[in-house]
Amino acid sequence: MDYVSLAILGCAIVTFIPRLIPALFIDKLNFSPKFEKFLNLIPYTALAALICPGVLTVDNQLWYIGLIGAVVAAGLAWKKVPMGAIVILTVVVLITVYSIVPFF
Amino acid sequence: MGIGYAAIAMKAGFTPLQTISMSFLVYAGAGQIIAASMVLNGATLMAIILTNFVVNLRYFVMSTCVLNKIEDSNVPLNILAAHVTVDESFAMFSLSQDSSIWIYLGIAITAWLSWCLGAAIGVVTLNLLPVIVTNSFNISLYALFVAILTPAVKENKQIALLVLITAVLNIILSQFLGNWSLIVSTLLGAGIGMYIVDDEYLLSGDD
Repeated sequence: MDYVSLAILGCAIVTFIPRLIPALFIDKLNFSPKFEKFLNLIPYTALAALICPGVLTVDNQLWYIGLIGAVVAAGLAWKKVPMGAIVILTVVVLITVYSIVPFF
Repeated sequence: MGIGYAAIAMKAGFTPLQTISMSFLVYAGAGQIIAASMVLNGATLMAIILTNFVVNLRYFVMSTCVLNKIEDSNVPLNILAAHVTVDESFAMFSLSQDSSIWIYLGIAITAWLSWCLGAAIGVVTLNLLPVIVTNSFNISLYALFVAILTPAVKENKQIALLVLITAVLNIILSQFLGNWSLIVSTLLGAGIGMYIVDDEYLLSGDD
């Protein structure tokens, strides 16, 4: 096999194993209420960590592009706009911003 | 995002089949983009695989959360659910009211196939799309994350504080820990949350 295929296969294995372990053992485990709380908090902290600072690298040259997108999405979500519409509108706003940026 | 990955993979010398099969077999957003960039830069196999392991170790945490929430489970379905656990499916499911494996598989398999389709579209339309458009699509994943997180932040000041602390923590740690920072911040943040978020909010599942 060539270098690229080996890289793909290797990545597939090391990515699948951590995902698989909980699938095999979760039914045999009974978590304490404290640990349940810890698990329940992870979605919030994981999302916070995924967004910051990653969102600032949406455009490698213009950091504020990602910030604008995040603010637009948060504003729409605050007004209870449906999720699909938020994603589409945010993309549309960014395409608009990109068309305006060259004029400054 | 899927299209953006395909652009990098093709530039790194992946064949169209390799580009699409990586999306199918590895299925890891940032991990694939990083691996393709490393191939492009001629990194060693060991370095690529090790980096991928670290970057994707967060799926261990996400898979544990998702499978712990699912009520009607069995091992074969759990294994499928585990493979299709990524940031999006984890985020959409774990903060929703549903706890059925079928709902989860519905969300997650749709996302998986769209990701593969994105790679296929990227292979075909490569160089046809202007950078502006691909960059604008890059925001879509973050827009989804923000859209999922905002209602919880709006409703509960303790969650809002926790989100802020974790975000700052990750910004600081990413300077020192690189790829490890995401998982360390997530776990440290949840640990801090044990002390600043009241139990009843989480137990009621009032999202």
